[in-house]
Amino acid sequence: MSAGGGGGGAHEAIPQNKLIAFGVIGGLVGIYAAYFLVDIIGPSMSFLGALGAICSIVWGASAVRRVANYGLGTGVPSIGMLALGIGVIATTFGLAVGGIAGPLVALVFASLIGLVVGMLGNKVLNMGIPIMVQSTTEIAAAGALTIVGLSTSMIGTFMFFDEIVNGVVVAQGVASGVMTTGYIAVIFIAGGLAILHPYNANLGPDEKQDRTLACAFEKGAIAMILAGIVATITPFASGSITILIGIAIWYVSFSGYYKRVKRDAFMVTGSGLLPSKEELE
Amino acid sequence: MIDIVGIIAEDFLNILLITLGGMLIALGVHLVPVGGAPAAMAQATGVGTGTVQLAAGAGLTGLVTAGFMMNVTESMALIIASGTIGAMIMISVTMIVGQWMYVYGVGCPPASAKVKYDPITKDRQDLYVSQGTEGHGIPTASFISGVIGAGLGGLGGSLIYYSLLSIENGLPEANFIGIASIFAIGLFFVNAVIPSYNIGGTIEGFHDPKFKKFPKAVLASFVATFLAAIMGVVAIGGM
Repeated sequence: MSAGGGGGGAHEAIPQNKLIAFGVIGGLVGIYAAYFLVDIIGPSMSFLGALGAICSIVWGASAVRRVANYGLGTGVPSIGMLALGIGVIATTFGLAVGGIAGPLVALVFASLIGLVVGMLGNKVLNMGIPIMVQSTTEIAAAGALTIVGLSTSMIGTFMFFDEIVNGVVVAQGVASGVMTTGYIAVIFIAGGLAILHPYNANLGPDEKQDRTLACAFEKGAIAMILAGIVATITPFASGSITILIGIAIWYVSFSGYYKRVKRDAFMVTGSGLLPSKEELE
Repeated sequence: MIDIVGIIAEDFLNILLITLGGMLIALGVHLVPVGGAPAAMAQATGVGTGTVQLAAGAGLTGLVTAGFMMNVTESMALIIASGTIGAMIMISVTMIVGQWMYVYGVGCPPASAKVKYDPITKDRQDLYVSQGTEGHGIPTASFISGVIGAGLGGLGGSLIYYSLLSIENGLPEANFIGIASIFAIGLFFVNAVIPSYNIGGTIEGFHDPKFKKFPKAVLASFVATFLAAIMGVVAIGGM
């Protein structure tokens, strides 16, 4: 089978409940702070949405780590795509009907679909993974918050529709600013990779929670930089601060990740350059 | 506040069509020869990548071709046929190029380890399977199975897309198409992952014993898609 994992529960230094709190509270606070502060202070505060997305990405990556450790049989990427697939459905629904409570509605309904898919996985498909239901719920919810967070940092709001005063668009909504323009595809792949890649890259018998999560921070920072690049060409969000903070987080988390890779490796050694043609003959 | 019950009652046919589309995708995935990582090393029959990637490739091509046909006609049959053919062409191209890699690059004959004789060509299979592998390449039965599977997937995907675009609402057209397509993509991913859990990541096609498990995945996909379809119809219909 293509999936790794030892077929048992993963060892964890940070308990999952703390990471759930980190993801949910951090994600929602980031999204709402971005929404209100963009109104009060200005478009430059839109980077807070991406910080919220990073919190939920780390949470999602940790949930993927726990469930994929049992061996899904399908490879880790499938569950990341499941997260974003459910996330995009719940986000469209939540933001369209929720108004100011949009991110909360999206979170609740993503958890609901995740719960159903997890129960179907165990009851109908007989996957037999004890934490399947909880993990799918968490992963779907994290996917939804990631989408809302990155959208907010791209356009400065999570309102679904354009705000029009006297026939002039004063604020672009998610529908026209993110979905119609196709930036949702960037979120889909960058956010999905950030959730699925950390465990996929680090799996194996020596997998450590802190190393995987450091990788998740680093992938989240890349998603943040991408959101910043998009924000530079949208009028109601500021890209430069998002990109700068993203690069700073990326540098710190990548150094942290590299340090842990060196810590966990048996030996790190330089192999030198490839021998030249003459040396080979 | 939007009239949720009213929208569901009005668009109930669309909800059913979306659910049917999801179930068709789940059935289609069972027919596509997915080999996963072992196939990437020519150690299992099928295309060397995961279900989700294959289904997404075929399904998204189906959406593009269905959307293109939607520019020129409003006939449901033509739009859905266009989506079906698009997905079938995409998976055929993927399989034939993968086959060249296996035959001319890796140097192994296409052979199935699950059956002794190919159910379509009646060619002997077991003699050509390398020791320690579960077959390699894409034998004729798997190829034909894959084309049928992609056809079902494309049919389901374009059915979802067409049903979403039949919902009456007050959105500007560009926004409506954007939202409907991203929603269809989301449903496609969910319905590609559920069957891939059912088959444990690899399958050879309709001749694989795992294929008999498909009713379970179709049932699971029915429940999940129905729930998502209600949310999608309420969200889009309420705009």
